Amino acid sequence: MAQAIRPLIETQYANQVQAFERSPWFQRLEQGQASPQEYDAFVFNLCQTHLKSPQILAFLYAVAPPEAAPQIKHNLLEELGLDEAAICHPDLLYLLATAAGFDRDRQTNLAEAAQAQIRQLCTDPLLFGTMQELGLSVLLEVTCFEWMLSRLASRIGKALAAHRGLPPESLTWFHHHSEVDIRHAEEGLDSVEQYLAYYEIEAEDLETILDITFRENIFIKRYFADLPALAETAL
Amino acid sequence: MKIVDATLFALQIPFVEAFAHSVRSRSSSDSIVVRLQADDGTVGYGEAVARPYVTGETVASCLEFMERALWPAVQATDYAPWAGQDAIAWLGSLALPSDGDNSTTGVVAWNAARCGFELALVDCLLKSAGVSLGELLPPRHPVTYSGVITASSVEGAVKHAKRFKQFGLPHMKVKITGEADRERLAAIRAAVGPEMSLRVDGNGAYSVEDAIATCEALAEFHIDSAEQMIPRGDPQELATVQGATAIPQMADESLITRADAEALIEAKACRGFNLRLSKCGGLGPTLAIAELAQAAGIQMQVGCQVGETAILSAAGRHLAAYLPEISFCEGSYGSLLLREDLSRRPIHFGHQGLAKPLKGPGLGVEIQDDLLEKYAQQVISLSAKAV
Ligand SMILES: [Fe+2]
Ligand SMILES: [Fe+2]
Repeated sequence: MAQAIRPLIETQYANQVQAFERSPWFQRLEQGQASPQEYDAFVFNLCQTHLKSPQILAFLYAVAPPEAAPQIKHNLLEELGLDEAAICHPDLLYLLATAAGFDRDRQTNLAEAAQAQIRQLCTDPLLFGTMQELGLSVLLEVTCFEWMLSRLASRIGKALAAHRGLPPESLTWFHHHSEVDIRHAEEGLDSVEQYLAYYEIEAEDLETILDITFRENIFIKRYFADLPALAETAL
Repeated sequence: MKIVDATLFALQIPFVEAFAHSVRSRSSSDSIVVRLQADDGTVGYGEAVARPYVTGETVASCLEFMERALWPAVQATDYAPWAGQDAIAWLGSLALPSDGDNSTTGVVAWNAARCGFELALVDCLLKSAGVSLGELLPPRHPVTYSGVITASSVEGAVKHAKRFKQFGLPHMKVKITGEADRERLAAIRAAVGPEMSLRVDGNGAYSVEDAIATCEALAEFHIDSAEQMIPRGDPQELATVQGATAIPQMADESLITRADAEALIEAKACRGFNLRLSKCGGLGPTLAIAELAQAAGIQMQVGCQVGETAILSAAGRHLAAYLPEISFCEGSYGSLLLREDLSRRPIHFGHQGLAKPLKGPGLGVEIQDDLLEKYAQQVISLSAKAV
């Protein structure tokens, strides 16, 4: 099973990352063609996406098979700054937001927007029939983000420094995720395999859940949700 | 009660990426939302989806008819709130014309436009009285929605079918065009297994002979209904198709007006009607057609408009939950299809396509005005042009 499944998932991840990297919005950010509003919208969306990582990891910890649980628990503690490194990741995101000039109101907005996504996850009618399928879908998305960040986080950080003038200390989140997540991304794939084996999920169902989870580009959807209109006029 | 203010929003809400390429000829919703305000300040929302190839209405002509014919009629009427009377009678009393001068326009009926104003009036008048549409049309059962597969490639169609199966939907409708129909249905049937109810929709792409041959060829895949195989026209032709095949034929584009319904029944043209609010002119006319269908033993499907927002979805939900027996129901795709839907709470169905009846006042959905502004291509404010 292992030989067939890992490449299948990695191909999906690679496609997602490639589509993101080649999207006009990413290119505009990286090449310094985006407007200040676009950079700020991107920072807002990125913070919104990742502020609730501890909550999402706690959910994954709850549904994790015994083999994967210690790893996910470690990621959760690390995210909260309760491990040896003692760096709370949501705090790093607020550092970024502050550097981007977000005032108190904007930061409150940000916290509310992140919380709203959790609320939506809970109130949306559930399309999957069981928690195991929802858990797999969330695990695949989280792992895919780690996979992407391990490849692009430092480039994004550099772009924000060069074109939005953000100081290095505000970009620690990117630095941290580009290095840390090389390990996380591989471990994430192990967790997926353990999850599939534990819940005895068939390859065909995995394929469909991959297709459902990645039916849109998750990075473009989360990071650039409000940008298309802005970007299109300038393209 | 008087309606003092009307605003028309011609929207364009993009579809989520995955559907943008597979819903033929369209990558965004083009609904018209009608917002009415009563003299007591209550606001109601209705929705019209203009389809030139169905009723003949376009977005532009629909807006024009709303402004020219519907708004003056609504403005001139003093509305009595619903006081427990028969739903069809009350809906009929709303005084909304749908039959302007059509001799030169090629419009069968201004049903989408009428639907937009009717739903907005219903929402507004019921909200003002603190009443849910569910009190007028008491729900008899939860609603089970079908998946609709519009993908053009067979591979894409199979992908969509597998998604719907994963979501536990028990019914699927497959759009067919005369190209690779057998291959398409064979692949979908193989992917979803024998339990799934499958039906097809030809959107009038076939001749009488081809329709009969296609039904013959698809019979082995256990098709529960074949919708609008031949173009709208003489009901006798549809009767010929129905007479030659065991697959129940369903009228969609052939069924726009009450007169259409009567002629189809008279000719024994089909065994099913697809009732769509925007196509049939709103709740009143649709319920009237449903009465005819029930009396004639015709099965009913509650259909939808691809790209409809939560407003039409909510009205469709009420209709589907109220009708004593429906064979299938479509719609309520909400944010599964639209990048953002208009309602504050999600309208889309859950696992197994199930959705509960709506209970809030009026149509039972809270519409977010900021999204109307965000996605409006055109906003027409009618209050200033009072007569
Ligand atoms: Fe983190
Ligand atoms: Fe149809």
